[in-house]
Amino acid sequence: MGFPHMTEPNALRMAHSRAAVMEELRRLMPRLEGRRKPLPLGLAAIDSHLPGGGLACGALHEVMPAAEGAIAAAFGFIAAILVRIHSPLPWREGLGVGVERRSSNVNVLTPQTAPLLLVMPPYGLRPYRAHGRLHGHGLRTLGLDPARLILVETAHRKETLWAMEEAVRSQAPAAVAGVIDQLDLKLSQRLHLAAVDAGLPLFLLRPAPPSLPSPASGGGWGSAAATRWRVGTEKAACDRFGLIAQPRWHLHLERCRNGRPGQWLVEYDHVAHRFSLAAALADPAGARGAGEASIRQAG
Amino acid sequence: MLTVAGTGGLRIAALNEAAEALGLAVGEPLADARAKAGFVQVRDADPAADDAALRRLALWATRYTPTASPWGEDNGADGFFLDIEGAAHLFGGEEALLADLASRLTKNFGLPARLAVADTAGAAWALSRFHKHKAPSFILPSGQEAAALAPLPTAALRLQPETRATLRRLGFKTVGALLDKPRAPFAARFTAELLRRIDQALGRIDEPLVPIVAPPVYHALRYLPEPIFTHEAIIAHASRLMHSLTHVLTRDDVGARSLRLCLYNVDGAVEAIDIGLTLPTRSVDHVARLIALKLETLVASYDARFGFEAVGLAVTCAEPMPAQQTEFPSSPPSDPSCACEAGSEWGDGDRTERRAALIDALRQRLGPASVRRFEAVASHWPERAEVLSPIDGAAAAPSFDQQVLDQQALDQQTVQPRPLLILPHAEPAEEVLALIPDGPPRRFSWRGTTYEITGAQGPERIGAEWWRPHLSAHSRASGHPDDFAPGPRFRGDERQQTRDYYLVEDSAGQRFWLYREGLYGRETTQARWFVHGLFA
Repeated sequence: MGFPHMTEPNALRMAHSRAAVMEELRRLMPRLEGRRKPLPLGLAAIDSHLPGGGLACGALHEVMPAAEGAIAAAFGFIAAILVRIHSPLPWREGLGVGVERRSSNVNVLTPQTAPLLLVMPPYGLRPYRAHGRLHGHGLRTLGLDPARLILVETAHRKETLWAMEEAVRSQAPAAVAGVIDQLDLKLSQRLHLAAVDAGLPLFLLRPAPPSLPSPASGGGWGSAAATRWRVGTEKAACDRFGLIAQPRWHLHLERCRNGRPGQWLVEYDHVAHRFSLAAALADPAGARGAGEASIRQAG
Repeated sequence: MLTVAGTGGLRIAALNEAAEALGLAVGEPLADARAKAGFVQVRDADPAADDAALRRLALWATRYTPTASPWGEDNGADGFFLDIEGAAHLFGGEEALLADLASRLTKNFGLPARLAVADTAGAAWALSRFHKHKAPSFILPSGQEAAALAPLPTAALRLQPETRATLRRLGFKTVGALLDKPRAPFAARFTAELLRRIDQALGRIDEPLVPIVAPPVYHALRYLPEPIFTHEAIIAHASRLMHSLTHVLTRDDVGARSLRLCLYNVDGAVEAIDIGLTLPTRSVDHVARLIALKLETLVASYDARFGFEAVGLAVTCAEPMPAQQTEFPSSPPSDPSCACEAGSEWGDGDRTERRAALIDALRQRLGPASVRRFEAVASHWPERAEVLSPIDGAAAAPSFDQQVLDQQALDQQTVQPRPLLILPHAEPAEEVLALIPDGPPRRFSWRGTTYEITGAQGPERIGAEWWRPHLSAHSRASGHPDDFAPGPRFRGDERQQTRDYYLVEDSAGQRFWLYREGLYGRETTQARWFVHGLFA
């Protein structure tokens, strides 16, 4: 007697719960969609190696110089990526490419332009000798407006870590970059989680490992970073006046979560804020070959 | 007995009751005192330590009222003075306040205090020193200064010893004798001090009091039944104080730009924590967090000892603040799951506040000078072309001033490359090999490494700023550094020479910013090379 009586409420309950599930899903969907789109480097050859076609926004990215002398190049690579980051305001993402291009014009500086935060000990990387400090006019040469940059100087590593995490969690800056000498897996996981939670990219400039017999082993250099870039210097091409036209870097994507490693020779155009493949390796065969070689190496 | 060096040897600066009973007096030479009393214990007076102790005491006394001022030479007296107007009722009246003050002074500092309350600072001082009552404290009803002061000796007017001696010679022994007489002869025969002190004591003219700490705009104080020790307790009480201040701040449409948290230790010491804010705020959470950050860094240096018995929070600087915004959005870390949603809810105004909150937190923990930004300076000289200035204030003013940049761009016609990393002091490059003396180098060595140069770009010639004296050469002898001093423009080796900058690239692709100092043939015959920066 009670059985048929009960089916109806059951069905109702099911329908009810389904509605609730749908409601819950609807509530959750914007959050998934709201995740920031990856940040493309604007170079198809590289972006195709990265998951989602660009650098993940809520993630930790490591950049290390290939050699001690390449530290300026590594800094330059970070600066070049920072230039490409715009204000993480959602409405700006929703608008088209035209707006993005306008906002990438560093001369248009509104107070709302999110600052970029650079956390560094006063003497740069510990194991290396002092390489001087960042030069505002030099940043401008690379296309990064120094007015957007907030420089945070820390006395030691603990403060650096704290300041980076604080900055990321506050969600005030558009991106955070930091210079650190040592980092173990646990700390890098912590930073990565902070970046994921906040949806902000966190760039870390680390010194190259002292000397690696085999790059794949990387003992003690484990890291939760989404990508690890090794930046080396390369002879720049000269224009017809014999002037160095664009800085040229050797980029080595050593590891990439959900992506493929690879190596490229790129030039950076500080006016258009764009990377381009350097002429020598511009043919796709060469780039692919380099990428495959590194996969074999890593695998 | 304490002595100080005076005219004709050591003189007595202070003495105890036993010595007074022997007929000794302040100001007497030590030799006379020894002759009179036979044996005396003598110590050197330490005015600096006395001063410091008095300051400590006055700081402690800010627990009663924010305006406590220690008195020194300028006031012609010692001791310290509390302006208890409006504060006495918090203790249940002036008597209760005085009793509390006296008992705490005895208990905490072991000081027998003489206290007096009067309408004027001068009268209060005179009564505390010279009143004849048995009780250690004395309260003068309003408007009776003249009557109360009249029987007191002239010393009660805080006069110089010379003035006092003259008065004594003239037969004036009490204040009352002075008050009756016409003023004109006194004005003619004495310094202005005498009449000024009389007027101050009677309240005819104001006496400015310099408080030991700048009086706060808003102030909240809480006495604790039990001393507190832990960070959590301090923060909880500070939050409650901030909460009580919020109402006042809201009423006046202002926000706090700087705050001072005073922790009054049971033993009388005072810990002060200053909090600076980038934006005016009324947010309890934000202030509590900044205090927590500061306490974390102070954990090594500060000492709760017996615990804190009172907590005071003062707004030392307040600025107008729009009324609508009262709270910073709660910081995401407490609830990371909603970070994304929160991010989409915040608008542009919140971004400025988040930025300010972040900068506040960083400054509080890392020190005010550690959060900086670039600021362009209108100068071609690379060392002077920019400064790092601490971020202050909310306005995100474009620090690379467009005007400065425009001017530089005009002057340079084209934008010359600048290195990404610049060395604070240019470092000499050795073993430089150049084909021609005023050409780019082909090889140089720096920090022990030799670089073969394959490409060079330049020179960019940057002339010294002759109108500015060299940093080490500008001795203050020639007056203001901006003055055009006649005579030789440069002095010896310290003169700055023209620099020819080259962007050079070595065989491995490293790019340097090198310069040669001095124009070959005109300024120097031996070119010296320096490394000044690294290009990306």
